[in-house]
Amino acid sequence: MLNAMMKTKIFAWVDRRTGLEGIIKSQLTESMVPKNVNWMWVFGGIAMMVLVLQIISGIFLAMYYKPSAMLTTGGFSVAFDSVERIMRDVNFGWLIRYIHAVGASMFFLVVYIHMGRGMYYGSYKEPRELIWIVGVVILLIMQGAAFFGYLLPWGQMSFWGATVITNLFGAIPVLGDLIGQLLMGGFSVGDPTLNRFFSLHYLFPLLLVAIVGGHIHALHTVHSNNPDGIDIDFNDKKNVVSFHPYITMKDAFAVALFLILYAYIVFFNPQMGGYFIEVDNYVPANNLQTPAHIAPVWYLTPWYTILRSFEVKLVGIAAMGASLAILFLLPFLDRSKVRSARYRPMYQGMVIMFFIDVIVLGYCGHSATTETLKLVGQIATAYYFLFFVALLFLPKIEKTRPLPEGV
Amino acid sequence: MTEQTDHSRRNFLYVAAGGLGAVAGGATAIPFLGSMLPAADTLAAATTEFDVSTVVEGQLVVVQWQGKPVFVTHRTPELLAQLDGHDEDLKDPNSEAIDAVHAMWMDTPEKRKTRSIKPEYLIVVASCTHLGCIPLYKPSSGRAEWGDSVPSNWPGGWHCPCHGSFYDLSARVVNGSPAPYNLHVMPYKYTSDTTVVIG
Repeated sequence: MLNAMMKTKIFAWVDRRTGLEGIIKSQLTESMVPKNVNWMWVFGGIAMMVLVLQIISGIFLAMYYKPSAMLTTGGFSVAFDSVERIMRDVNFGWLIRYIHAVGASMFFLVVYIHMGRGMYYGSYKEPRELIWIVGVVILLIMQGAAFFGYLLPWGQMSFWGATVITNLFGAIPVLGDLIGQLLMGGFSVGDPTLNRFFSLHYLFPLLLVAIVGGHIHALHTVHSNNPDGIDIDFNDKKNVVSFHPYITMKDAFAVALFLILYAYIVFFNPQMGGYFIEVDNYVPANNLQTPAHIAPVWYLTPWYTILRSFEVKLVGIAAMGASLAILFLLPFLDRSKVRSARYRPMYQGMVIMFFIDVIVLGYCGHSATTETLKLVGQIATAYYFLFFVALLFLPKIEKTRPLPEGV
Repeated sequence: MTEQTDHSRRNFLYVAAGGLGAVAGGATAIPFLGSMLPAADTLAAATTEFDVSTVVEGQLVVVQWQGKPVFVTHRTPELLAQLDGHDEDLKDPNSEAIDAVHAMWMDTPEKRKTRSIKPEYLIVVASCTHLGCIPLYKPSSGRAEWGDSVPSNWPGGWHCPCHGSFYDLSARVVNGSPAPYNLHVMPYKYTSDTTVVIG
């Protein structure tokens, strides 16, 4: 179909003025992908689809949402009531809001799997360091967007989550007070905070689109990694398939499967037992009472545990910052020439432990603190950092398996 | 006019023009960033008046001052007695670490212990000095009423649900808490026997 379209006169007219044929060839039909990429390689495409879904559903929600903490006659706030109105009165409002709220969790789920793929198969290594680094920037912006968005319903969790995070930035030495005031527009989270968070929540996804463009541009320059993590000749037809139609069809199939799961959650279990939408957030924000147990949404809990693992406030904050910042350094900490964990027996064990470790950190961050969980969290935090440090020394002791000749 | 280009002159102009452009760009950021700081009406100082006699003995009331929560606690003689004997477990028993935890009237060892103008009424900012949550009031000592959510030698006081900071009944932070300081003391004064003006 694409070929037939490219033969029409109107295409020729557009092509002469935009170079469209060259773009289609370089990005789709003549962009080559290793023929042995497995199903773990579909999550990038799914993530992009979820980003589009989030932007579209968000645009429609913004037509009804009102960012104001002003109290209403019912005793709630304008923002809280407008969300309830979307749920009860606006045509299909419930569906669009659930698509958006569930979409936030699904976006992180997909992106975390996507990152795990990159770590397991060594996709962050030379020459793909910048793809990884741009990817970490994407993760940080996603976390920012999710944090801003979470305040908008103006429920108890919204309010106290925002209070804790803005206080985190407020604890930065010297500039802390200024940053806290810039974020909150006052001395505590309030109406000015809600307004600016709505503005930033709209801005960040647009930044994401631009940066995802850079992520993909870098990918198309150096091409995809593969499960064996070996260098291949991309000009040799026996090694590769073209992105379109082979990978686009595979991705489309994966997207269809993914959407079945997504739709199941949206229609039958949108709150996901309090993991995707926290029950406490249906209680309107009250600045005079902290809920008995507050925890961020699941996708931020691993970092929350790292924060909680230290008794000195500044150290906790620094550790949490470092746990994200160290991701940027991953391509430079790991100097092994072998990419894929398939041929690195020690790395394979370490990286699988790392995935389990992050899940343990997440579990600890989601639960109320007890002595035992605090200790578990501290051990998990130690392993998190140890993993990255150990990568520096690993090539000296690890005996890698022989790499295959070709794919 | 000569054929030759004066490179040093050209470089100077490049740097000068570029530098001025950068300065102008930076200056443009000032109004935008400035607009994000608290607006004039938010800054306008506000005071809160409160009648402490409305607080039942042993109970706690949270009032609002400049958008921030403030604890007003009515401590019984028994609760005041619970302030003694654990100074070595406190990070800052005399409230000297920073200005915000200290007040001019804390001039005797007794006042530094009770942290209040009238011993029975403790009035402090209710935001945990760790990350701003409001701690839960757990006045009775020991674990009888609170289970293992508090340490075994619990003197009675506040427990922050967010990250597990502990404060005693004068809102002094207990060792091992992530919170660095005692709960802040804001300016307040009594205008009559029971009326207090906060701010």
